[in-house]
Amino acid sequence: MTKAIHFLPDEETHEATRLLPYVMAVMVYLSALALMGSMMLNKGFGDMTESLSNRLTIQITTADAEMRNAQVDEVTALLRKTPGIDYVRKLNDVEIEKLLEPWLGKGNVTDDLPVPAILDVTVSRDLTLNLDAVRGMLAQVSDNIHLDDHQQWLGRFLRLMDMVEYTALGILLLVVLATICIVIFGTKAGMAENREIIAVMHHLGAQDSMIARAYQSRFMKYGLKGGIIGLVLAFITLVSLIYLSRDLAEGLVRIPELPVVEIAVLLVIPFLAALISMLTARYTVLQGLGRMV
Amino acid sequence: MIHFENVGMRYGMGSEVLKDISFNLKPGSLHFLTGPSGAGKTSLLKLMYLAHRPSRGKITMFREDMAGAARKDLPKFRRKIGVVFQDFRLLDHLTAVENVALPLWIAGGKGAVIEEHVEELLTWVGLKGRMKARPPTLSGGEKQRVAIARAVIKRPDLLLADEPTGNVDPAIAKRIMHLFVELNKLGTTTVIATHDMGLVEEVKADRLHLSDGILQLIKAGQSLPETTSFDPAEFETTSLDQNEYGPLGYDGEDDQ
Ligand SMILES: Nc1ncnc2c1ncn2[C@@H]1O[C@H](COP(=O)(O)OP(=O)(O)O)[C@@H](O)[C@H]1O
Ligand SMILES: [Mg+2]
Repeated sequence: MTKAIHFLPDEETHEATRLLPYVMAVMVYLSALALMGSMMLNKGFGDMTESLSNRLTIQITTADAEMRNAQVDEVTALLRKTPGIDYVRKLNDVEIEKLLEPWLGKGNVTDDLPVPAILDVTVSRDLTLNLDAVRGMLAQVSDNIHLDDHQQWLGRFLRLMDMVEYTALGILLLVVLATICIVIFGTKAGMAENREIIAVMHHLGAQDSMIARAYQSRFMKYGLKGGIIGLVLAFITLVSLIYLSRDLAEGLVRIPELPVVEIAVLLVIPFLAALISMLTARYTVLQGLGRMV
Repeated sequence: MIHFENVGMRYGMGSEVLKDISFNLKPGSLHFLTGPSGAGKTSLLKLMYLAHRPSRGKITMFREDMAGAARKDLPKFRRKIGVVFQDFRLLDHLTAVENVALPLWIAGGKGAVIEEHVEELLTWVGLKGRMKARPPTLSGGEKQRVAIARAVIKRPDLLLADEPTGNVDPAIAKRIMHLFVELNKLGTTTVIATHDMGLVEEVKADRLHLSDGILQLIKAGQSLPETTSFDPAEFETTSLDQNEYGPLGYDGEDDQ
């Protein structure tokens, strides 16, 4: 005789809850994908915005080439003297051509096309630069000089990223709620199925907590099993997506790197699923039994 | 041990199936509970094994009020009670051994000790070869004996048996009655519902007789009195102390 008597029949005979691990797997799959997506965007585009946040771009659109070059030199000299600016560099023709290529097509950037001069400015991280003062200074040189600190674009981009992240969180929350509901259903179905057994256990002097323990350990196993299946599927999906998109999107967009540490954190998901499932089952059983005689 | 005072019981909104039941069972007593089918024997036992609350009246057991006992206290009382259900109520997916071991396991017993006790008792009730069988493969009589073993394995303070010899042949019935009597002599207060009058004749014990939800006490050896009203003050029972049976083979719990 084994030490513990399994007074609930095996899962295999348990019609009502046999499919539960697979539903749990779907739930974990969805939440893992939502989390992975949000992590990758966060990491990948976080790096990108980081690299943009201390950069300024200055465009000089003066049509006359000679005059434009003179203005470039003047502005470069002025900026190099300004405290808070680390580095100023004029983009060469090849770089500019590369920037225009996506819009104009390869080989269409010709010499007679009026192309503005572009200065790439790196701002010191230690000193705060008075952008208004710099704008004033540039305006004195020419009206054709435009300063772009990327803030407008960055702000919009960050808001979009926030939205994506909130959506992922919302999905996660809904999935958790749905999981809880499913576990409640499953537990109740399991209890209805074993109504007679529970009644006999009560008559033999079993406490509610003993019956709850049997259900909670069963549902913990369901959560863990489903969690592992779901997470493995999510990883497979993610890796194949990255692999496929690397080929397809080559040169179009930069695919964010897989943030290994963050992704590793996802390994706790099956345990969380097990915990949620266990606590929900326990609560449901104790609630249900409390209403009996 | 058990004290009922003007107890009434109904199922749901139905009419009372037990009316104004008053009696007092002394610790260590043995009683038969008789009456025609549908008289309310099972219902009265249900009140005693705390499966049902009375709709009125007062029930005192183990010196405590049962009618108003808190739900969380019920397991404590139920562990002192052994019940042989009329329909056995064995767990079909467990073996005979596991079924009988259940009360010990619930009370926190240890595996090896439990097993020894259980196998000894199952052997005694004639199920030596059926230890690992599951209830669906047992005959009615075998199931009944497993149910009886489960009820007595913990040597309860109170044993309630609902038609415990209904499915077994007379020889086994006699053996089971010996078991109950022996257990009773060791101090277990016993109530046996039956309509096997032969059994009642054989064991000289007082009878609680139910008819249409009304209870009467009939002293050992007497027959049904004509009168239907009696003085509850006289409604005291005595413990069974006659001993017409020799020692039984059942001594598995002498170490307690
Ligand atoms: N669960 C139940 N719900 C409603 N009525 C019941 C229930 N169990 C028994 N009864 C009724 O209570 C009465 C007494 O039944 P019972 O206690 O089983 O009698 P006995 O055990 O003496 O045959 C019967 O009229 C029966 O129909
Ligand atoms: Mg009955």
